[in-house]
Amino acid sequence: MTRWWHLPALSLASLLLPWTFATAADVDSNRLLNADKEPDNWMTYHGTYKSWHYSPLAAINAGNVAQLRAAWSHVASRSNRGLQSYPLVVDGVLYYSGSYNQVWALDGATGDVLWQYKQKLNEDLVAKQTHSPYNRGIAIGYGNIYMGTLDGKVVAIDMKSGKLTWETKLVNSEKLTVGFTGAPLLVKDKVIIGAQGGEWPDRGPIFGVDARTGKQLWRFYTVGGEEGNGDARNTWLNDSWKTGGGGGWMPGGYDPETNTVWWGTANPAPLYDWSGPDWKTKGARPGDNLYTTAVILLDPDTGKLKGYHQELPHDAWDFDSSTGEFIMIERGGKKFVVHPSKSGFVWVYDRAGKVVNVWRLVKNINFVQDIKPNGELVGRRDMTEGKHENLCPFIAGGMSWNMGSYNPKTGLLYKVGNEWCMDLEIVKTTPVLEPMAQLNIGANFNITHPKGDKAHGHVSARDPITGKLKWEVKFPEPPLASLLSTGGNLVFVPDARGWLRAYDATTGKELWKHNNGQGHNGGIITYRAKGKQYVAVMTGWGGLAGDDYAAFFGGVFAQMPKDSGVLKVFALP
Amino acid sequence: MLRSFLDLFSRTVAVALGLAFAGAWAQVPQQPGPMQSGRHASEVPAKDTTAGATQQAPATGAAALDPNQLFATSCGWCHLKGGRADGKGPKLMGTPLTDAEIVSRIRNGKPGQMPAYGSSFSDDQLRAIVAYIRELKP
Repeated sequence: MTRWWHLPALSLASLLLPWTFATAADVDSNRLLNADKEPDNWMTYHGTYKSWHYSPLAAINAGNVAQLRAAWSHVASRSNRGLQSYPLVVDGVLYYSGSYNQVWALDGATGDVLWQYKQKLNEDLVAKQTHSPYNRGIAIGYGNIYMGTLDGKVVAIDMKSGKLTWETKLVNSEKLTVGFTGAPLLVKDKVIIGAQGGEWPDRGPIFGVDARTGKQLWRFYTVGGEEGNGDARNTWLNDSWKTGGGGGWMPGGYDPETNTVWWGTANPAPLYDWSGPDWKTKGARPGDNLYTTAVILLDPDTGKLKGYHQELPHDAWDFDSSTGEFIMIERGGKKFVVHPSKSGFVWVYDRAGKVVNVWRLVKNINFVQDIKPNGELVGRRDMTEGKHENLCPFIAGGMSWNMGSYNPKTGLLYKVGNEWCMDLEIVKTTPVLEPMAQLNIGANFNITHPKGDKAHGHVSARDPITGKLKWEVKFPEPPLASLLSTGGNLVFVPDARGWLRAYDATTGKELWKHNNGQGHNGGIITYRAKGKQYVAVMTGWGGLAGDDYAAFFGGVFAQMPKDSGVLKVFALP
Repeated sequence: MLRSFLDLFSRTVAVALGLAFAGAWAQVPQQPGPMQSGRHASEVPAKDTTAGATQQAPATGAAALDPNQLFATSCGWCHLKGGRADGKGPKLMGTPLTDAEIVSRIRNGKPGQMPAYGSSFSDDQLRAIVAYIRELKP
């Protein structure tokens, strides 16, 4: 009886298919929750809420990767300090951001430009910034691209037209110098983003913003919390919370099962303290300095603090916790969150935030003698005013902010480690309370080789819970880009010199390499467009870690441009 | 000698670095900081204050600063060992730049490499920084 009616309805649906397909591009909360069921896409910075930086796509695999060839590329204008961001792909369209808050939408199969967006910035302000003008990534949802700007705004850009939907000023960057460089994280209908902060006299806020309207819904101060929400200013004696620091300059993670946002926070200011072992009562910022260099658990709906673990109480080495991803792993019926940090250690938590193990990913660590499996620091190296030699790792970290990759097929975590150290002279400075101070370091220093070794980097494959080593590949300089592993038993490593390599994920055997012509300092993904699998990687050199390479490592870095950025995309013939 | 210099001018460093209106340096210790004022510095300012926030009055005061402390606070991240070694920024010890070129670089920066300090420093303070650079020894 109704069959006749269904037929034209079906035809109508067919006619409307392009339209319905376009609407399906609206990434919403449900789609992000089920992102691992859409292997063609890469819809959020960390791949999915599991933060694995892994794709099950296997058309490109260990058996045929030797045939991988350049497919297309896109040159990003004004790429000072290279491309440090992560591409995202939704329904065949690749979106990515570059320096000076530029965004591009490209056809994922051909590289044809669909639109370009350039944020209007206060260029005088940007010229004064040290951690600038790069952008490290975007988020997608509700028909928008979300991006934090160098001048303290979050903007929503219509993902079809490339036009501004709304913008909201969150940080008074004109006063504080700093703004946003890290990618936002979309949770339900909220855009969550952390400000820069570790070196400046601010309280390192993290914000929750309505994804549809841009209205600020909540704010959490990582320096001292605030009344009614984790007030911890008593962990900064002498009102030293006013010297600030903190912030959460890289995107955190989300555990849907407990409705908890996990976010890593940056270091307190000044970075180095002259207190020595008396840091609980003396020095620049006496006390634990909550919630800096910590992992905080927030309610995404309210911004209320649900829990925290301070990985380094009274961080005196600038080894902040904002750098690592939050890898959600289930093993033997137990659920874990694995968090690598700048210190060179990897923390393993249960889903309630209790530390269940800590293991070291790099060899050269002496800022502490050890960290026990329960998270307790043993043998802290708290420095006093004056000269100190051979502090390891170097200020750029045992691990930098680039992301590792967890592969569920091999059960291994692939991660870059950095082996380097520093000499420094701690200088007793005056409290910096006023904005426009640029930085508040507290020391003069220089990078050094580890004792009896040469500075270098490595990519290792390890058990993410125990740290047990499966294989390791050494690099003459630490790679500073993120990694990708795939269901094709591959690990891709973009290195500092410009080589992109593919390894057998199980054995570490090198299977393919291609010289991209300049160093990598950003993200890498794989996706499928028009039925074909592609690998997309950011190229371009410069930044707070890479800028040291020319002077320290010399070689190819002495001539490597620091104002160039190209997105390179690869495919099988 | 260096220590007494440090002690004498320790308070002025934060001022030299942080003050939006350099002409008021002498009064700064008495002025409320961003968090003492009751409004937090990270809060978005009222509409009438944003536009002028980056405009800094020309530095006219003769406030002294300790360049060694200045390097340990801000400059040393890039100019390693207090300016004695190459790092993110060049070694300053023995720089071939003229005094005027050094001053110009501090004021204007270099896009993507060195921040522009604008008029954060007075002429006297810039002379002190240049003198520090000229006197750098290994």
